[in-house]
Amino acid sequence: MSKEHPKIVGFCCNWCCYGGADTAGTSRMQYPSGIRIIRVMCSGRITPSMIFKAFKEGADGVFVGGCHMGDCHYDAGNYKWNRRATFVKEILPEFGIDPERFIFEWISASEGEKFQRTMQTFYDRLTSEDNIE
Amino acid sequence: MDNEYLLAKAKNEQLHESGECGGAVSSIFKYLLDEKIVDGVLVLTKGEDLYDGIPTFIENSDEIINSCGSLHCSPTLYGDLLSKELKDKKVAISVKPCDMMAIKELEIRHQINPENIITVGLNCGGTVKPVTAEKMIKLFYDTDPQDVVKEEIDKGKFIIELKDGTEKSVKIDDLEDEGYGRRENCRRCVNKIPRQADLACGNWGSANGWTFVEVTSQKGKEIIENAENKGYVETKTPGEKPIAIRSKIEKVMIKMGNKFQKRYLEKEYPSINQWDNYWNRCIECYSCRDICPICYCIGCELERDFYKDDSTTRNPLTFQAVRISHMAYSCINCGQCEDVCPMEIPIARIYQRMQNKYKEISGYEAGHSDELPPIYSPLKE
Repeated sequence: MSKEHPKIVGFCCNWCCYGGADTAGTSRMQYPSGIRIIRVMCSGRITPSMIFKAFKEGADGVFVGGCHMGDCHYDAGNYKWNRRATFVKEILPEFGIDPERFIFEWISASEGEKFQRTMQTFYDRLTSEDNIE
Repeated sequence: MDNEYLLAKAKNEQLHESGECGGAVSSIFKYLLDEKIVDGVLVLTKGEDLYDGIPTFIENSDEIINSCGSLHCSPTLYGDLLSKELKDKKVAISVKPCDMMAIKELEIRHQINPENIITVGLNCGGTVKPVTAEKMIKLFYDTDPQDVVKEEIDKGKFIIELKDGTEKSVKIDDLEDEGYGRRENCRRCVNKIPRQADLACGNWGSANGWTFVEVTSQKGKEIIENAENKGYVETKTPGEKPIAIRSKIEKVMIKMGNKFQKRYLEKEYPSINQWDNYWNRCIECYSCRDICPICYCIGCELERDFYKDDSTTRNPLTFQAVRISHMAYSCINCGQCEDVCPMEIPIARIYQRMQNKYKEISGYEAGHSDELPPIYSPLKE
């Protein structure tokens, strides 16, 4: 899959990654406009079905951002999400979706630069000519 | 506790005659009912004929005799019956390995109280659907299915015993190549002896007229000792040879199962395009979910409005993928979803494949653990 303007659905946790996106914004760091951010209270709140639904609705990529391990506002939400996410990675290819189209990352509120970098890399990967299906 | 091996048979002559391999299992049930240790026994009884086994809850020990002998039953896993219909009763139950795994998964989900049940495991080399069995017996054995009194899978052969005492056998591979024989999921099964049950019984390695019993729990040990003391069963210790034969049979069976897994889940696994064709057939009847022994939720997420759309067939991503993410890590490969699918989608394959993948990443083997799969864990790790 190579698209000119891929649409990325980004689930960001309220306490870390959403703050990270905010930091990137306030410090005027440029990142691709194709990303649609959905704020959730915790990455532990995200279920595999949300990822599947996003792909079904036509997302080209799905990104999930949570707090760094050990930093979860609710203690262990990101650990729980991590366990789910590894299984989601296994399920997607069974339905013909390249697991490369789904990423998850740990980004803190101060890491605007990491948010920008992650988005840019993900966007580049989705637009590149490499065979992402 | 180390597992102990025993040979057992019924002391009651009627049970010894009618029961398989000496009727030890029937006698144990009789003992449990007579002594009022359980409220009832959940077993198969004969309906119209051999191909019409009906799960029955027996409360009177005189009726145990009806459950003796080999029977076919279309998909039935006892897990559901236990968790939904017999929740408050003390039940003794005869289980195949997949029944036992389902019970185990329901126990860790608090749907069955392990204190309330006594499980007597039966070795299983695979099951044959009733209709397939009838057709196959007509076609390959040139026999009237009604004349069959006993069936057995041994040394790679499917053996039937007729009313007049004659035996006929056909190689199981030949049957399965033609599309008959065991159910597909049974071919892929690698769980042949239900060691999670209180007792694991069977004829592998046993002498004629005796049942080979592996005592796998303290509860099982007490039951068999008391049954012997009260005069229901007679036991003896097997020599080295029967134990060796039994473990050899198990090894061969497991090897065959692994071979079939490689074939059905890798080499001959449907491609993405083939799967798309299969998914397009789906009529959203939810039978696969309703029959699944693991699915117990009262409100199912699949029925949420946000998954519904105007298209005629539902996108598999918002149906099977969601189901997989909910329970495939606990799939016990009972194959019932495939049995009940009206559109004949080989759905059990994707579930077993996913459980195998999950086993690889997390080490969790469905139906064998006393703890929930790690995906439920609240821990930081």
